Amino acid sequence: MFKVFLFIMLILYSKFAYSGPFSDFKAGAGLSEELSSSPTERRNKPNSESIVQSRDALDSQNSEMWNDLQNELLGKNAKVFFVADVKIIMQDYIEEAHKVPLIVAIPKRLHNFNKLILLIENNPIQQVISLKPYRSIEAIGMNVRLEDDSPIRVAILDKDGNWNIGSKMVFVASAGGCSTPACDPAIEVCEPGIVGKIAVKEYEREAGAQRIKLKITHPMETGFVVDTDGEIIPEYFIKNIHVDDIDGPIADITTFAALSSDPVLLLDLSEKGQSVRVHVMDSHGLEFFSYKKDISM
Amino acid sequence: MQYFKNIIFIFIFLNSFQALSKNNFNIHPIEVSKNIYVFMGDNNDVNPKNGGAISNTAFIIGTKSILVIDAGPSYLYGSKVIEIIKSYSSLPIRYLVVTHHHPDHSFGLSRFIENGTKIIMAQSEINRYVKYGNRLLKQLKNLIGEDWFIDTKIVAFENENIKFPINVNLGGREIIIELYDQGHSEGDLIVKDLLSKTIFVGDLVFNERAPTIPHANINNWNKYISTIMDSNWDYLVPGHGKLIKEKEELLLTKYWINYIDKIAKKAAKNGMSPAEIFNKGIPEPLLKYKLAKETWIRDLPLLINKYEFE
Ligand SMILES: [Zn+2]
Repeated sequence: MFKVFLFIMLILYSKFAYSGPFSDFKAGAGLSEELSSSPTERRNKPNSESIVQSRDALDSQNSEMWNDLQNELLGKNAKVFFVADVKIIMQDYIEEAHKVPLIVAIPKRLHNFNKLILLIENNPIQQVISLKPYRSIEAIGMNVRLEDDSPIRVAILDKDGNWNIGSKMVFVASAGGCSTPACDPAIEVCEPGIVGKIAVKEYEREAGAQRIKLKITHPMETGFVVDTDGEIIPEYFIKNIHVDDIDGPIADITTFAALSSDPVLLLDLSEKGQSVRVHVMDSHGLEFFSYKKDISM
Repeated sequence: MQYFKNIIFIFIFLNSFQALSKNNFNIHPIEVSKNIYVFMGDNNDVNPKNGGAISNTAFIIGTKSILVIDAGPSYLYGSKVIEIIKSYSSLPIRYLVVTHHHPDHSFGLSRFIENGTKIIMAQSEINRYVKYGNRLLKQLKNLIGEDWFIDTKIVAFENENIKFPINVNLGGREIIIELYDQGHSEGDLIVKDLLSKTIFVGDLVFNERAPTIPHANINNWNKYISTIMDSNWDYLVPGHGKLIKEKEELLLTKYWINYIDKIAKKAAKNGMSPAEIFNKGIPEPLLKYKLAKETWIRDLPLLINKYEFE
């Protein structure tokens, strides 16, 4: 009798062991145990149930994470408004979670904002950037890492001291954008480049407006990745990017390892900058310049 | 104590059963022409069901020896292929041509080395296989489970400075192996069987499915497809997807690579973000390809980055 019982238990156990992590959205979940044990297990695509749950999660009332983030990053008494006109343009369903391109489109009423913070709620590193502008900015783009399905939030502080929050829910097919090496077997881009090489590109837009793109080669190690010998690769990332031109500063950006390796940043300025330059500092205190530094300055 | 033994027994039984059912490659060769067989890969992305066996593996039997084209994704796959070939012929498997270094084509090769088979592969591709193999292997294990890759090893080996093209005689049939460098990969090999007019082109041609471009030089690749279209064959075995008999079917690969290339160049010129292009959805003419969305989203940012910053 006992044997039969054990047998059934074992079968049940093996069934569970085989069901695999299911991608139902976990509102406010941190790095769950099942994810840290098998971070890249392929999950199911979002189903109707998980989509409803995710819609709920975008409501800050239902997010365990949001209140803490709000208090910590926007301030305890911050005046917060969830708005529809701040748009995060990115895929709903992400196959490759190490380099996910996104663009924040800022509505006209907010072009002259005071501060912008991008957050990924369910990442081990939640804050991606915090940007202080010195000019009118219409859009900001970047590549991010995603550990799991998550609400993405962009918080924009306007001239009146109000935080305008834009939100977007994304699903991740293969979790572990922060905790697995960025060397996808299909694309095989895993060669670490030279650290600190900076490229700045300027593109004309309509009516004298301009797009600036900058790429900085940097591993942006999260501190959550284990190398082939089983050792944790220590965190190492860009901490600050300062963008200016001959007329003075354009933007001062604090960055975190939730930005992808070799980060690409995009800024849409309302007015064209003149000879845009970039100055970068990383967590080892190394400094990189897109220009020849003049010692006398 | 008796209970304890039973528990252990049940445990071992269950585990071995799972291991077996999980690792079994259910592959059967189909005959393309007399003494030419192809194991069709699963026309999907690598997943825990197909064990990474997504590309085509073929073998050609002569009167003296056998030649295999592509090693599949793992040691287990290589073993299975060798086992099946032995049930068809007792002749030695003398040659393995690895068309390029991608894991789904190359990771089974150590099993063939054990078998005494001579490996024919472009030097650039051997270099990449050796350099990136272990990292990619680890990634694949994470993706679909360690069990699929039991005994799979990345081994360094020599190609004795082969100068392509080379001719190989399997007894009663002449095989020509040509190098198409800097096309789909840095060095793709094409195998031609003159007797049956069958050509094995690796990933220079994808059938039905979206071609992958991460190591590609689109210009050269395009020319190579034209060259293949103009050459004399009755049957063409692509790296992925079904056997091809009409040369017009090669236009599908051409169309995709030129399309994605054009969009990427335009995006790089205008400084567009992949997010803005993705936001418009997959271009309608590409929807008919299998894995269109996955491939589009994976490859387009790489190409844009290449044209914009390199
Ligand atoms: Zn392939």
